[in-house]
Amino acid sequence: MNDLVRTANLLSLKNKAISLNNLCFSYGEERAILTDINLEIASGETVGLIGANGAGKTSLFLTICGILKPTYGEVKLFDRPIKAGQFNPEIGLVFQNPDDQLFCPTVRDDIAFGLENIELSPEEIETRINAALSLTGVTHLAERVSHQLSGGEKCMVAIAAVLAMLPQIVLYDEPSANLDLRARRRLIKFLQSSHETTVVSSHDLELIIEVCDRVIMLNQGRIVAEGKPQEIMSNAGLMEANGLEVPHSLTHYHQ
Amino acid sequence: MKLVLDRYAYLNSPLHRWQQGYKLVGLLSLIFAFAFIQNVWLLPIMILITCILFRLSKIPISFLIKRLRYPSWFILAVIAFLPFISGSTPIFQWGYLIIREEGCWDALLISVRFFCILTLSLVMFGTAPFLSSIKAMRSLGLPRVIVDMTLLSYRYLEELGEMLTTMQRAMRLRGFQAKSLNRRTLKVFAQLTGSILVRSYDRSLRIYQAMILRGYGSQGSSQKNYWKFEFSHNNSSLWGTIMAVLTAIFLVVLETILPSF
Amino acid sequence: MHIPDGFIPPNICLAGYALTGGVTWYSLRQINRDHYIQANIPKASLLTAAFFVASLIHIPIPPTSVHLILNGLMGTVLGYYAFPAILIGLFFQAVMFQHGGMSTLGVNALILGAPSIAAYHLFRQRDRLRGEKQLLTSILSFASGAGSLLLSAVMFAILLVTNISPDMDINAERTAIFISLGGYSIQAIVEGVFTVMLISFLEKVKPELLKS
Repeated sequence: MNDLVRTANLLSLKNKAISLNNLCFSYGEERAILTDINLEIASGETVGLIGANGAGKTSLFLTICGILKPTYGEVKLFDRPIKAGQFNPEIGLVFQNPDDQLFCPTVRDDIAFGLENIELSPEEIETRINAALSLTGVTHLAERVSHQLSGGEKCMVAIAAVLAMLPQIVLYDEPSANLDLRARRRLIKFLQSSHETTVVSSHDLELIIEVCDRVIMLNQGRIVAEGKPQEIMSNAGLMEANGLEVPHSLTHYHQ
Repeated sequence: MKLVLDRYAYLNSPLHRWQQGYKLVGLLSLIFAFAFIQNVWLLPIMILITCILFRLSKIPISFLIKRLRYPSWFILAVIAFLPFISGSTPIFQWGYLIIREEGCWDALLISVRFFCILTLSLVMFGTAPFLSSIKAMRSLGLPRVIVDMTLLSYRYLEELGEMLTTMQRAMRLRGFQAKSLNRRTLKVFAQLTGSILVRSYDRSLRIYQAMILRGYGSQGSSQKNYWKFEFSHNNSSLWGTIMAVLTAIFLVVLETILPSF
Repeated sequence: MHIPDGFIPPNICLAGYALTGGVTWYSLRQINRDHYIQANIPKASLLTAAFFVASLIHIPIPPTSVHLILNGLMGTVLGYYAFPAILIGLFFQAVMFQHGGMSTLGVNALILGAPSIAAYHLFRQRDRLRGEKQLLTSILSFASGAGSLLLSAVMFAILLVTNISPDMDINAERTAIFISLGGYSIQAIVEGVFTVMLISFLEKVKPELLKS
């Protein structure tokens, strides 16, 4: 499966995986959630998304995958504009709370769910499930009941369920929330080794530093800064002004 | 799912100032009087009373119209069918289709009754925060178990609705589209429903533990204080209720003494 | 399957309230015998909210889609708590969506609630009867789900059709009742199969939910 993903990425190497042009989103007329977002993410890049609670991170993700319809502007995946409400197999979203994603009796059923939706053959489904399980290191959980797993296990199973669809872009919404230290370390290792175009939204700034090539800062639905994680996040003035704190590891960082 | 119930609950109008306990008694008696009406000549009075109360409540008309949209298809169907299937005096015939007089009057009667009662219910629950409506029902003698259950489930309604929306989003992102009914679609929906039940159940266990830790069900919080009489002395509220009840009685009396239509 | 305001005469509305009051009182008496009432109230409340939310799911039956009623399932999971749960759910629906109504709340609670208590007693036979457990569970789940929906549909159709207009002749009434029951029997089968699937899911994932 790794090879498949790698080939897919190689094919689209020069492409812009995600491009957002003047993207706006609001609920009704009064509450603007996202305002004039312009952003390009190259294929294979790993980008972090930071911002205080309510900055618009989750809404941005939902707009990118076509769940929310932008009130203005457009979303392009690999130079192809997407239509809200349509299923886009090239993009996957790992939800903040894995319980929102896992609803089948066993882990295996859960991973099979998406594959059955795209009507693969039973053999193909079997192969992809096993590949996704071993990629995320949860093969031993295959027959367990998803509702009874620990937080860290659920998180990896949710990731496996998304990766089994072989998306070229994966969005992770707060993946390390509710994880213990060891599970978090496993997640970081996993993210570092993954090949898809990845966007991670997180309050866990240390995770962003370890995983991402670039970071984007949101505040009240606008992009207020972007650049190298170390440079952006060590800027105490900028961080403070946007409701964030300089992470401990960067308190003595000098540009 | 957004519960817009409390949107106009904090306006300042005579109906908002009418204490919720008194208001429930007054408007409920009007609602039952309305349900009692069979005489077409009383419909204008009913509409007049409804309009006056709605105007007084200062709730915008657009809100009422929006709320009317939910139930109307079924009602429209019934009302549209009645003139064809009910009654004996034909007033219009076109091939096999016969429109009958009694059916038309019945359709008019039902739709006006429906509209007036619905508007009054909206005024009744829309002019006070939902929680004070439940508290008022408690002081009107609703059993404690029911009050507790209503309050608790109301508290979590929006959250569970959010849970359902998110889970359905996650399913759509993995390519699920429910277009036709087959074994698999039904199974997916059953598992979705089951997951919501299981998650709610797990949640309730934690809520219960948190409630116990804050003294729920212990000796101190005995039931006696709970049943405080919540009708404080308020003359204008009392008068409002007396007026409403008298109007209701007046309507019922008119209905019985007027010659049937 | 909710009778709207203004569709039935007030004596039936009042009788509905009176009977609902009686059944509620009886259910509460059964509930008060429960040793775990303290723990069961949060459970029943959250499940009331969950069932309310679940009834918002659209199940496609082309060319249209239906909302499930799930009153049989509520009986099997909640036991006697199902009746107050249905009453509360209907109250929310009347106030929030204008679905049903305040004057018909009693009648509607009876239409949906009485069959759910029947479903509870039916499903409980699972612990008494001997035989192949899994098959027995499936049969009883189907019967609870489909049966209580059908029972509700019969009450609903008869009450509505016979009371909506004093001028309707008996044949037209009979036809209307049969047509509506025809439609509901399809939904009853769907609900029955759905209940079987859901109960088998709960048995795998959270069996304690089925032990009242």
